[in-house]
Amino acid sequence: MKLSRRCFLSLVVGGAAGTALTPLPWKITDDLSIWSQNWPWTPVPPDGAGSYVASTCTLCPGGCGISVRKIDDRAVKIEGAAGHPLNDGGVCMLGLSGLQLLYSPTRIQSPLKRVGERGQGQWQTITWKQAIGEVAGKLGDIRQQGKPEALACIAPKDTGTVARLMDRLMAAYGSPNFFRTPSVEDAYEAVLYLTQGVVGHVGLDVENADFILSFGSALLDGYGSPVRMFRANSRLKEMHGTVVQIEPRLSNTAAKADRWLPLKPGTEADLALAMAHVIIARNAADRGFLEGQTQGFAAFMRMVQERYTPQSVAARTGIKANVIEEVAMKFAAAKRPLAICGRGKGQVPGSLKEALAVHALNALVGNINATGGVTAFSAYDYIDWADVVTDEVAAKGRQTPRLDGAGSDKYPNARYLLNHLADAADNIQALLVAESNPCYALPDTRGIKAAFDKIPFVVSFSSFMDETAMNADIILPNHVYLERFEDVPVTFGAGYPTVGLCRPVVEPLYHTQHLGDTIIQVAKALKGSVGASFPWPDYKTCLKQSLGDKWDILKQKGVWVDASANPGIETASGKIVLMDDTLGAVYTADEVPAPGDAATYPLVLVPYDSIRLSSRYIGDPPFMVKTVSDRIVKGHDGFVEINPETAAKLSLADGQMATLTTPVGEARVRVNLDNGIMPDVVAMPRGLGHTAYDEFLAGKGVNVNQLVGSVDDPASGLDAAWGIRAKLA
Amino acid sequence: MDSALIPEGVKRCSLPKFLLGLVVVGAVLAWGVYAMLLCWIKGLNQTNMNDYYGFALWIWADLAVIALGGGAFFSGLLKYIIGKDELKHIINYAVLIGFICYSSALLILAIDVGQPLRSWFIFWHANIHSMLTEVAFCLSCYFAVLTIEYIPLILENRQIDKVPFFHNLSHNMHGAMAVFAATGAFLSFFHQGSLGGVAGVLFGRPFAFREHILIWPYTFFLFTWSAAAYGPSFTLFITWLTEKITGKKLVKDNVVYLLAKISGWMIITYIAAKSIDTLHWMNSTAPAQGFDWSFFYQNNPLYGKWILFTEIVLGGFVPGLILIIKPTRENSFLRVTALVLGIIGVCLNRWVMILQTMAVPVLSFDTWAMYIPSWQEIATTILPVAYGVILVMISYRYLPIFPQERELNPIEPEPVEAAEAEAKEASTSEDLQPAEA
Amino acid sequence: MKHAQTQHRPKRYGMVIDLDKCTGCGACMVACFSENNVPFKADESDKRLSITWMKVYKVTNGESFPNADVCYFPRPCQHCAGQHEGHSPCVSVCPATATDYSKETGIVSQIYTRCFGCRYCMGACPYHARYFNWWDPVWPKGMEQYLSPNVSPRMRGIVEKCSFCFHRYQLARNKAFKEGHREVKENEYQTACTQACPAGAITFGDLNNPDHKVHQLAQPDVHHGYKAKNPLAFRLLERLGTNTKVYYMSSREWVRKAGDNYLADENPGEHVQEPSGH
Ligand SMILES: Nc1nc2c(c(=O)[nH]1)N[C@H]1C(S)=C(S)[C@@H](COP(=O)(O)OP(=O)(O)OC[C@H]3O[C@@H](n4cnc5c(=O)[nH]c(N)nc54)[C@H](O)[C@@H]3O)O[C@H]1N2
Ligand code: SF4
Ligand code: SF4
Ligand code: SF4
Ligand code: SF4
Ligand code: SF4
Repeated sequence: MKLSRRCFLSLVVGGAAGTALTPLPWKITDDLSIWSQNWPWTPVPPDGAGSYVASTCTLCPGGCGISVRKIDDRAVKIEGAAGHPLNDGGVCMLGLSGLQLLYSPTRIQSPLKRVGERGQGQWQTITWKQAIGEVAGKLGDIRQQGKPEALACIAPKDTGTVARLMDRLMAAYGSPNFFRTPSVEDAYEAVLYLTQGVVGHVGLDVENADFILSFGSALLDGYGSPVRMFRANSRLKEMHGTVVQIEPRLSNTAAKADRWLPLKPGTEADLALAMAHVIIARNAADRGFLEGQTQGFAAFMRMVQERYTPQSVAARTGIKANVIEEVAMKFAAAKRPLAICGRGKGQVPGSLKEALAVHALNALVGNINATGGVTAFSAYDYIDWADVVTDEVAAKGRQTPRLDGAGSDKYPNARYLLNHLADAADNIQALLVAESNPCYALPDTRGIKAAFDKIPFVVSFSSFMDETAMNADIILPNHVYLERFEDVPVTFGAGYPTVGLCRPVVEPLYHTQHLGDTIIQVAKALKGSVGASFPWPDYKTCLKQSLGDKWDILKQKGVWVDASANPGIETASGKIVLMDDTLGAVYTADEVPAPGDAATYPLVLVPYDSIRLSSRYIGDPPFMVKTVSDRIVKGHDGFVEINPETAAKLSLADGQMATLTTPVGEARVRVNLDNGIMPDVVAMPRGLGHTAYDEFLAGKGVNVNQLVGSVDDPASGLDAAWGIRAKLA
Repeated sequence: MDSALIPEGVKRCSLPKFLLGLVVVGAVLAWGVYAMLLCWIKGLNQTNMNDYYGFALWIWADLAVIALGGGAFFSGLLKYIIGKDELKHIINYAVLIGFICYSSALLILAIDVGQPLRSWFIFWHANIHSMLTEVAFCLSCYFAVLTIEYIPLILENRQIDKVPFFHNLSHNMHGAMAVFAATGAFLSFFHQGSLGGVAGVLFGRPFAFREHILIWPYTFFLFTWSAAAYGPSFTLFITWLTEKITGKKLVKDNVVYLLAKISGWMIITYIAAKSIDTLHWMNSTAPAQGFDWSFFYQNNPLYGKWILFTEIVLGGFVPGLILIIKPTRENSFLRVTALVLGIIGVCLNRWVMILQTMAVPVLSFDTWAMYIPSWQEIATTILPVAYGVILVMISYRYLPIFPQERELNPIEPEPVEAAEAEAKEASTSEDLQPAEA
Repeated sequence: MKHAQTQHRPKRYGMVIDLDKCTGCGACMVACFSENNVPFKADESDKRLSITWMKVYKVTNGESFPNADVCYFPRPCQHCAGQHEGHSPCVSVCPATATDYSKETGIVSQIYTRCFGCRYCMGACPYHARYFNWWDPVWPKGMEQYLSPNVSPRMRGIVEKCSFCFHRYQLARNKAFKEGHREVKENEYQTACTQACPAGAITFGDLNNPDHKVHQLAQPDVHHGYKAKNPLAFRLLERLGTNTKVYYMSSREWVRKAGDNYLADENPGEHVQEPSGH
């Protein structure tokens, strides 16, 4: 008994000691650590041959050149293209995140047909043949009924081969109801047409300006061609130039500006005209320019003298008269002053009066069609296709007035009024939506949703399962930009006409199809005159033929700039019109108020734009969401920015949950006390509160479009909303 | 049923009662083990630590148990090196508590590191400039020493002792115990000190940073000192608690008074040094880095000046004075109060040196970072307590931990034969009596 | 002769960030995420659990409307040299030598496979430039396709941080070595954040090299702990003795003051503008 216990214990101890002396425990220890260094669930990116592909970013209207790094067939990094005329190597965070879109699980991988109720997200995968047949069948039926004008189309632009193919499909089909998504371009185009007779695009020579007077434009948060604006701002810093930022909130642009004029929102036009008054009254205007190149100056002068003295405007704008005078005089005294408008990124057109007034400031200092100023370029003309083949149905349909009233007697100065979609929807039987997300990005989300509910057949071409795709009946997914060829004409924010070439970096990952090809195939499937209007076998042929000799330049350089383009004045007199009857009517139009009554809604809510929040077609990829401040989104809660003084009046503490109510909607938000915002004004960013997409984006914060509506500019019909009255409790 | 294993001449509760106790504490242990497994399998996202709180509850618990376990090395030092022989009556328990504290510390560290399977890199790729390297080496070596000090105690179990090999081993180990005690004390000076150094060397953290003597920041010395001061307090407190729970007197008063007195003097001298250090830091160290000392005690919901008062006065001067003044020291209520205050004081010191260091904003535009541990962190911190209780229960039941227990708690004589046999055995092994060697 | 000397001169790679130009756009953050395979989670709004090697802090002047002002501080790892070259707060404390200071480049490295996640370095870094992988990195299905092979994705349980895009240095160095053991040129080694910044606010290069723009902008004073001689340039928390290699420039005094901590009776304006050759 004793012996055996002793034996046993000795065995155990001896065995343990013996094992410790063998390599076994050491080997196991080492192997375990090696295993921990090579966990099979931590990915090891395969190496391979490296290469770069030059292309153009299409994620915003900026048109930056990009250089995409590849390892074998994989795209691994997007960089800004060095030497590109717009961004010269710089790139914004959306551009940098492009690969998260390319490889996103929210991509639509093949044509889909709705099976459940709309918006329920139940889909059936179909073939491209079925999809084209399905769309052509529906469109054919509508046309058969002799109502081709009941087809509408929404696209983010109206230039470039793809947009023009869509427009062409509409024309050949017989509908005038092509919509471009709204932006400040609408206002600028109207201004150029009314004052200079030019049908085309505005060029802003920010690179050569030495004084930028910005009426709320987010130079540093995505306005125009965003990276170009950044570069211009940095250049101004180096040259000791000046930026004056006018807006009620200390935006990034305001913080970096040499001077921030916090004005009461909605009074920008008043301020601009009061500055015009000062420049004229103090004899600081460019007399030579005004006499030689403008007409209607005397009438303009009379108007500002009568109605826009700095003293009379001071109370309304909240900017003291002497400050108005001082800034106006500094603007006029600058060598190359440039006034710009379009709030934020310019996603809302704004009032025509405001755009005109700002343009007039440029005219007063003689900086129109001049270096460092505003230039007017004719529309791109490289797409020179034969006229569409028109049958009777098409001819009749095209004669019908646009459903949104654009171009009518009431709204002669507008070309597209998507803000009237809710009214137009009654007469729309089919809607094509390309590269835009109206169900998310247009003001009054609820109204837009109601309009969609009225439209029996909605076709989405989206690459992603966004809010609009969710509300479609059929989805014919486009390649994403890194998988396709496309010409990218820049229509806003460049200095000269600039066309970039977007080209495939990788082979298409899924069963998607180029939107150009889809349009051509739908047209051909519609047969007859519609099909006959599309002579190209496929999109690439169409693109090559359309670009002509530009194709080779673009393939070689990736971008084509027409630095010799002649800025135009095409009015009958050959002069810039400062005032005539039409403009007089615009200038006398009423101010656009913030909807809602002040008694119920003591605050004013203004949406703002951030370069970290993509607020148009594209939703924020995970990388971007990751950079969003915890003072803007925390968990699922969105914040509203409010001055501590105002919050104190409402007994609201920092971080507290509150209900923000406007005449359009209400939302639960958290309070973010911020000294950078004007008392009694509250602000929320665009780009949050998605309901579609994945857990990286959906359900974070509040979509401010649910809380704001659109307001018709009395002069143009364009959406001129700059805010809405609100209450917070 | 297990009477054969129970030391002779002492009374223990019935086995079912003992087992019931084990089950209760075991349930707590199981809860801690569950949390521990969660941390190992799912990762440290189970905690409420974050990039501002890389060191949090666990590291505090580590520092605290090591400070409290300091009773082992300091009593060893006093007994074997300085020659305070009375302490032999409490040294077994001090060693056991030390063993529990240090094994707990190692366990907590194994949960705390993000890659436990690689934790041996600290030895293999050692950076000799790092205080943590010093900690790791000294801590593991000292743990080995404690194990060596604990083993003879295990060997004294009645049944094990019957094996001549173990009997002799135990005897020889006891003979060499002075060497181990000296080694332990030496190692302890370094690891207690380097634990203090962990915070004190952080020149990027003005709340913790202290000037150096040679390569060691002041906190190095303060930590060693405070462990030596409060460790014995903890040993005394646990002894008192054990006495209360068992309902027996286990250590004679003269032993308790001696250790309490030494602890008291150590506390008083320590807290004086700590006060000088604090004043120097307030008036020189922190201002040189651009901070007014009051900055560290403002604008946050927890860390206020009350901490300084609690740590230095309530947890320092008060218990120190109680323990050095004979009448108060010998008043059981006051003495135990002092022990508790002291334990709170030293734990609070370890807390602020780690947690408050992490909480204070350093960049001028940063904000205070507050932290509340997750249940997994709490459970894994309670886990070693449960483990400690179980080890004490088992050791107390089966090992002659308290040499004076038999004398202080005489039991009814058993039948003559057995008593004789026992007496015989006791007399033959008199010179080998391990606990008293 | 001169050539031979420059061959062996140790580099001191660093940055100068012009806070007047920086707009807070965050492109540098995303450039870094993309370049360095930085993971992301569904909720990144707890910023103390959000891995951002480059982090852009929004700093306000604390005044009320309309005198409020904002400045953004982009913060990569500052690649601290410490009081004697290599005594960085983090490197000096790492017990396993898993983060190291290169005397050849001045870059503080992080060795993921050696780090065992004790997080002592995080406690040591006053800039919060170090991030722990609390979770396994998981990319949504398909997205692991864009991962770069040049930077290994990190496993759970270890610390990571900005490396000054060290892999770019390796590529440039290899190229230069192949081409006749020549020096790496300024434009051959630029970090991803520098390259992306749309405002051109970041300048990167060898602070020891008088031909490099960083040297000209910061004018580091070798005899005074590399303090900037340019009165508008400063470093974050200089008073702690971290001796960083990321310099900031601002024309605004309150911004320069925000770079460090000062006692109520100190005059930082004087402090910052004091020419270092005193
Ligand atoms: N042609 C050829 N190719 C080979 C091999 C071969 O034999 N021939 N061998 C293969 C083998 S076995 C191996 S192990 C690999 C080794 O390939 P690499 O892993 O490229 O090896 P090293 O050159 O050691 O590169 C590691 C570098 O990373 C740096 N570094 C340290 N910390 C950091 C950090 O925090 N971030 C970054 N980004 N870098 C850091 C270190 O300073 C070091 O210079 O090469 C493989 N490739
Ligand atoms: S600014 Fe626009 S075009 Fe340029 S990279 Fe960003 S998203 Fe692309
Ligand atoms: S990318 Fe440039 S401008 Fe933008 S936040 Fe970073 S440093 Fe500032
Ligand atoms: S900034 Fe932090 S992580 Fe970087 S070197 Fe300095 S202490 Fe280390
Ligand atoms: S976490 Fe890693 S790098 Fe940091 S100190 Fe520990 S082992 Fe070193
Ligand atoms: S230097 Fe490289 S690693 Fe560091 S922040 Fe910039 S991009 Fe990231």
